[in-house]
Amino acid sequence: MTTPTRPSLDDPSLAIPVEHAGIFDPIPVARTERQREFYALKDGELLLNIGPQHPSTHGVLRMIVKINGEQVVDLDPVLGYLHRGVEKLCENADYHQVISQVDPLEYISSLFTEWGAVLSFEKLLDVEVPRRAEYIRVLSAELNRVASHMLYLGWMALDLGGITPILWSFAERDEITEILGALTGQKLLFNYFRIGGVNGDLNHEFMSRLGDWMSRVGAQLEAGMGLLNENEIFVRRARGIGVIDRETALRMCVSGPNLRASGVPFDIRRAHPYSVYPELDFDIPTRQEGDSLARYLLRMDEVKQSLRIIDQCLHRMPDGPVSAKLPRLLRPRPGRAFSAVEAPRGLYSTYVVSDGTDQPFRMRIHDPSFVHLQLVPLLMPGNLIPDTMVIVAGLDPIMGGVDK
Amino acid sequence: MTAVTGYWNRLSVPSKVLLVAIPTLVVLGAVATVALAILVPPLVDFLAANEDLVRFLLAATIIIVITIPTAFVIIYLELKVIARMNLRVGPDRVGPWGTAQSLAHGFKFLSKEDFTPRGVDVPIFTLAPVAVFLATIMGLLVIPFAPGLVAQDLNIALLYFFAMGGLSVVGLMMAGWASFNKYSLIGALRAAAQAISYEIPLTLSVVGVVILAGTMSLNTIVEQQAGSFLDWNVWKQPLGLLIFFIAATAEANRTPLDMTEADQEIVAGFATEYSGMRYGFFFFAEYVNVFVISALTVVLFFGGWNAPFDWPFPVQVTLDPASLGIGLLFLVAVVPVLGTILLALPFWLLSSRISTLQALAIGFVLFNLLAVGALLGWAFISFDWVVGLLWMMLKSYVFVFVFVQMRATFPRVRVDQLMGFAWKWLLPAALLNIFVTAIAVSLVANG
Repeated sequence: MTTPTRPSLDDPSLAIPVEHAGIFDPIPVARTERQREFYALKDGELLLNIGPQHPSTHGVLRMIVKINGEQVVDLDPVLGYLHRGVEKLCENADYHQVISQVDPLEYISSLFTEWGAVLSFEKLLDVEVPRRAEYIRVLSAELNRVASHMLYLGWMALDLGGITPILWSFAERDEITEILGALTGQKLLFNYFRIGGVNGDLNHEFMSRLGDWMSRVGAQLEAGMGLLNENEIFVRRARGIGVIDRETALRMCVSGPNLRASGVPFDIRRAHPYSVYPELDFDIPTRQEGDSLARYLLRMDEVKQSLRIIDQCLHRMPDGPVSAKLPRLLRPRPGRAFSAVEAPRGLYSTYVVSDGTDQPFRMRIHDPSFVHLQLVPLLMPGNLIPDTMVIVAGLDPIMGGVDK
Repeated sequence: MTAVTGYWNRLSVPSKVLLVAIPTLVVLGAVATVALAILVPPLVDFLAANEDLVRFLLAATIIIVITIPTAFVIIYLELKVIARMNLRVGPDRVGPWGTAQSLAHGFKFLSKEDFTPRGVDVPIFTLAPVAVFLATIMGLLVIPFAPGLVAQDLNIALLYFFAMGGLSVVGLMMAGWASFNKYSLIGALRAAAQAISYEIPLTLSVVGVVILAGTMSLNTIVEQQAGSFLDWNVWKQPLGLLIFFIAATAEANRTPLDMTEADQEIVAGFATEYSGMRYGFFFFAEYVNVFVISALTVVLFFGGWNAPFDWPFPVQVTLDPASLGIGLLFLVAVVPVLGTILLALPFWLLSSRISTLQALAIGFVLFNLLAVGALLGWAFISFDWVVGLLWMMLKSYVFVFVFVQMRATFPRVRVDQLMGFAWKWLLPAALLNIFVTAIAVSLVANG
């Protein structure tokens, strides 16, 4: 009796021969037609490996770049260095524990991943969330959005070679981190939202820090953005690089600021409203150019809108409980629920299937960073090596969410 | 034997020191006197016969001695200034206010493993840092730091300087090619392309100055700018200065034109595979280069060692130390002791909490500070080159500061924008500058 053998990727008989002209590399083994085409080097072409250990790849993104001189001919992103199997982990945790499992997905803006999970569970359980809890959720999430966009500003500048903006924007982000730390007890992975509410009411330290910060954030933001917005070198490097037109954006399922920078005013907060966003007054900024500069400027506009939302939340904050009364162990009815939230990077959605037990039967997480990373090979050919960094930084992927 | 040991043990610590030091010094002095008496006459004869060699060696030594610490100072300055611009504190652990940080960097480079990766072309890989470093140091030899303080006053000094600047690119190419690394190769090719593009506007931008001066000797160019700050070349060649400064930034591989070591794109460029002191040489050469470029800017456009205005209260000291004769001995032997005691007296009298020894120590330190101050003041008044060196360093550091600020302020330009800027804007502007200068000079000369 022979044990059945599964086809292995290392099986040499499966390899497709490639024409290879590189002097540096060992001859790679191609598994697919796309790989065969990618690894067949023409005269003058060179394969350059960027990442996963490289000064300017965000997290652990690895890109194999085929270059001709300084020009990028083709690009192959390699993913999976941060894969944790989050969806499977969620299926083996009960509904409360899922919140801390999805936290590190978008580790820059983890309140939104919590919100996605919590929102879908609430739909599954038919829970009514107290209004004060909803306002606190909006308030803390928008603070987190500002922090995420400030980090984007710094990274964008750092990938372009400017070393000062990241420290200026980090000063801002640090203050928000302290504020959220006072509210949630954590500074990065907050684990703050609960099914049916939030974990703990607003406290004195949070309010005093927030009020202090709100009084001077405008001037600080102007100073930080002033470093880049009128910088001729920065504008010239970002303008016209990585243009996503409207049709491509819609075809490639782009969402969030990257979609709005291409001229589509689609925002989940307005298109499919959740929480108390219908009651709040804010604009959806859009830009028509669709290039890296537009994506940068649009995020800076969004920061201003977020500050408006925070201001309104503080003024309209109702009294009442911050959490619905729920049993310790949740057993929702068998069924399925879908939720989508507008994360700083775009549409973050969660689809959960329940079989009536205390654990999700299946949990599917759609992360915007993964979708946006698909655009990189489309946008890259024809650009130069330095533009690689501008395009990747401009799309703002988070590898925690990409690799899940 | 026990008597001697017992006597020795009863002595206080200062007495022990004195008892050892005085006989040692006497013996050493005697040996030195005899040696000098035997060696000096032939040495003096030899030196007198080769005055040029002496001048060269002396000036070269002084320049190296001035410049090597300069690199350390620039590294510290860069760390600290960029930190302040970044809302940080910067180095503050090693030495007072972190001033020994660059020294610590130096020791770090020395103590790290000097790693040679597999597959490199070992001789070229080893020689490349030397080539880069030597090319940078050799450019220093023609820069006049003060009246008379120039290692070689070549009549083609400017040409020599740019030739040496071009030579460092050979070192970068060697490093990039021998490293057997794609990032290094791309960095080296960028260095070559950038050097070819920017050497031309750099050289052409100073042609205006050469036309005005009628010579390529940097010494003469500085001497012709003597007078007030209105006589400096910057007023006659503003466009030339602008082109020169931009091109020099590219030549020194400084942000925003540091394509060769763009760490966000090609990790560290040509230096990717280097570690330890070999990397230290690249690092060091870069900072010496910043200083050299700043010094050349000052020499060409900002009057070199000339003071921007004359000191309105002339001070004359007609003290010749040699005329004192035996009085000099008295001065050296007695004045320090008297000065120390005199300066210690107020502390000893005014506070009962200061012991005699402490008061004497304070007096000694104070006297030394005063003596050094007086000596420097005397040198400042008596020797032209001290004043010149001071002004030269001051002006050079202004430009070093500008370089450092630029690094903290600007993002990096793209590689094609860099080339396009050189060929489309700098080169035509440099040619225009030459054209206008030539017409102006001929108009002035002919009527």
